[in-house]
Amino acid sequence: MSSVSRRLHGALVAVSIAALLSAANAVAQESPPPPPSHAGSDTPDAGADAGASEVPPGLTAEEMAEIQKAFGGDTQQGVPSSTSAAPDGKPGGALPLSIPGAGSGTNFLDLSFILDIAAAGFSSKEPLQGGAHDPTRNGFNLQQLELSIGSVVDPYFRFDANIVYSQFGVEIEEAYGTTLALPHSLQVRAGQFLTRFGRMNATHPHSWDFVDQPFAFSRVFGAEGNRGLGVELSWLTPLPWFVEVTGSATDATGEATARSFLGASGDRVLSPLDLQLTGVVKQFFPLSDDLSLMWGLSAATGPNPTGYRNRTDIYGTDLYLRYRPITEASDTLLTFQVEALYRRRQVPDDVLTDYNGYAQLAWRFSQRWATAARYELGTAAHGKGGEVVTDPLDPEWTQNRNRVSANLTYWPTEFSRLRLQAARDRAGWRDEADYSVFLALELVTGAHGAHAF
Amino acid sequence: MRHLHFVAAMCAALCLLAAAPARAAVNVVTTVPDLAALAKAVGGEYVDVQSMALGSQDPHRVDAKPSLALALNRADLLISVGLDLEIGWLPNLLTGSRNPRIQMGSPGYLNASQFVRVLEIPPGKVDRSEGDVHPGGNPHYLYDPRQGAAVARGIAERLAQLDAKHAADYRANAAKLTAEIDKAREDWEKRLTGLRGAPVIAFHKTTAYLADWLGFEPIAFLEPKPGIPPNPSHVAGVLVLARQRKARMVLIESYYNDREAKMLANMIPAPLATLHGGTDFRAGETYIQHINEMVGALEKGLAGSKGG
Repeated sequence: MSSVSRRLHGALVAVSIAALLSAANAVAQESPPPPPSHAGSDTPDAGADAGASEVPPGLTAEEMAEIQKAFGGDTQQGVPSSTSAAPDGKPGGALPLSIPGAGSGTNFLDLSFILDIAAAGFSSKEPLQGGAHDPTRNGFNLQQLELSIGSVVDPYFRFDANIVYSQFGVEIEEAYGTTLALPHSLQVRAGQFLTRFGRMNATHPHSWDFVDQPFAFSRVFGAEGNRGLGVELSWLTPLPWFVEVTGSATDATGEATARSFLGASGDRVLSPLDLQLTGVVKQFFPLSDDLSLMWGLSAATGPNPTGYRNRTDIYGTDLYLRYRPITEASDTLLTFQVEALYRRRQVPDDVLTDYNGYAQLAWRFSQRWATAARYELGTAAHGKGGEVVTDPLDPEWTQNRNRVSANLTYWPTEFSRLRLQAARDRAGWRDEADYSVFLALELVTGAHGAHAF
Repeated sequence: MRHLHFVAAMCAALCLLAAAPARAAVNVVTTVPDLAALAKAVGGEYVDVQSMALGSQDPHRVDAKPSLALALNRADLLISVGLDLEIGWLPNLLTGSRNPRIQMGSPGYLNASQFVRVLEIPPGKVDRSEGDVHPGGNPHYLYDPRQGAAVARGIAERLAQLDAKHAADYRANAAKLTAEIDKAREDWEKRLTGLRGAPVIAFHKTTAYLADWLGFEPIAFLEPKPGIPPNPSHVAGVLVLARQRKARMVLIESYYNDREAKMLANMIPAPLATLHGGTDFRAGETYIQHINEMVGALEKGLAGSKGG
């Protein structure tokens, strides 16, 4: 394929995404038709009817047709309050800047700060802590100061960002828009975001059951987990149970975010195949009121820099079992979570494969106390013939590494958390096991964030 | 190729199967079962109603299960309590629902607190040293049947707007329900005249509306601050106060652990009244039956021997 046609291909993808977005906008704008005059509603400006394309009760088909004709082709005319672009004649939007009213319960921007600090002790001089938010050295560690921002932009988009301050700078961890009004149960995210690969990857330290990240992610994707600039389309299928299908295209570079793909090498994107493509299917089964099961299958593919058209494929599966009695008074919460990742890399004259994963059990036994245990495993890279070969990314990783961690957590309220964690890390290529202990404090202040499942 | 056709046909069939029953009635999803019971009473046969939380569940702490996002995906109308009661779990589900009909500001989103005379709106600046306070005011208004009736009328108006064909039915049902509630209320108020002015200990700040309706006086709460579990020194203080003021009973919702409340009731001594936090909508209980049961529990507490 010539580079020109590759570029064309890329442009086509971009154009079709833009078309999809604008079509959705149009659909969304049509959806609230004018209210029936006799409804006598307390909110007279609100529109009506469940089926957007049908003629609302109280209107004849001719009247509806007339309305549609008047709006035909240009749905933005005359409805300046509901356009995503600035209305004609009012460049930049002439709306006055509203100051969120204190005490009125309204707010245009949900802001919260999350501070994670830890005191750590390691038996090893060079601890194998791969995560960007892990404690990494003896003494005090600033794991992160995260500024989390969320807001509904307009009826069609919401905006979310996570800005992380470390002692050495500021980083835009995530900043993306999410559509709210696409038809057919579709949703697009665009911007910089953590991909939905697996269960842990899309989450932030605040929702983790452990102080540090499983090493599977830092080894396979990088210290920050798998994320990138890109676009994601997800679909909630019309099946009777929860089945969500997600696909995303993100840039494949970044030592800390896509190290098994292009990593630090800044190759130019010549075709969509130079991006990381990720596909995820998530299913949810409410087994009973108290017991639920979530199961995910993930795959990611992208180029790697070891040679022309060499690719890396990563497959993963995750299982999350949650027991929380809700039919009687109880503070119990028991969760079991497993993730396994299989990585396959094409390198000159060979194909490297390895497995990484973890399993963890967490038990909250009172409103304020919980305990958890985790086992992790990462194998050495094997070649086509099954022999152990040198991993170009982690040359020292020539044997299995396994790590066992256990912790105890205390929440004074849901906005603060103290966690004591100990771990034994057995990396086969080191002479002896490494031990570590962390005492971590987390403080959440600002808007009350909603919890994901 | 033939495979593809088969898969496509299967998908189409599944889509039809899943989509077909949804159009029959207005599909209403409520956050708590009291609202579900009210919506069902108002909507009757023209609505399908589902509650996200169970009556046995603390409405502050509901898991954002993806199956709830699925229910929202198919909803025509979402009714919430508002006043930040659901803030810990509803927003993500709402975004994940991918349903523009029920997003905030759409006609399919109804915040029921707009129909209510809200109590305990914190004056001035709020911060969380007060515990997990609700800056918009106390959200537990469905304990007061007068507020329940107001919410039912509000639901009727919104249903009438969404489904104008049956507007008259909705309004008639709401009027009927209001009349029933008013009639039952006379009886309830008569049965609970003894509570008027009585000092009462409660577990969480859920009693504001109940106190406003029945005229008792919540003198202390077992939680030192909203959302913070009881501790010995606080409970001791409550006990001293309860004895001083001769507290008539201890109130607790069934979704809270009642260990401390039981102990306190025994030590005061005063009867312990356990209230069901919500209507058992799934078992077919109505809102009036739920309030009636609550009144029964209070009545029993009032009559009960001390230490019971």
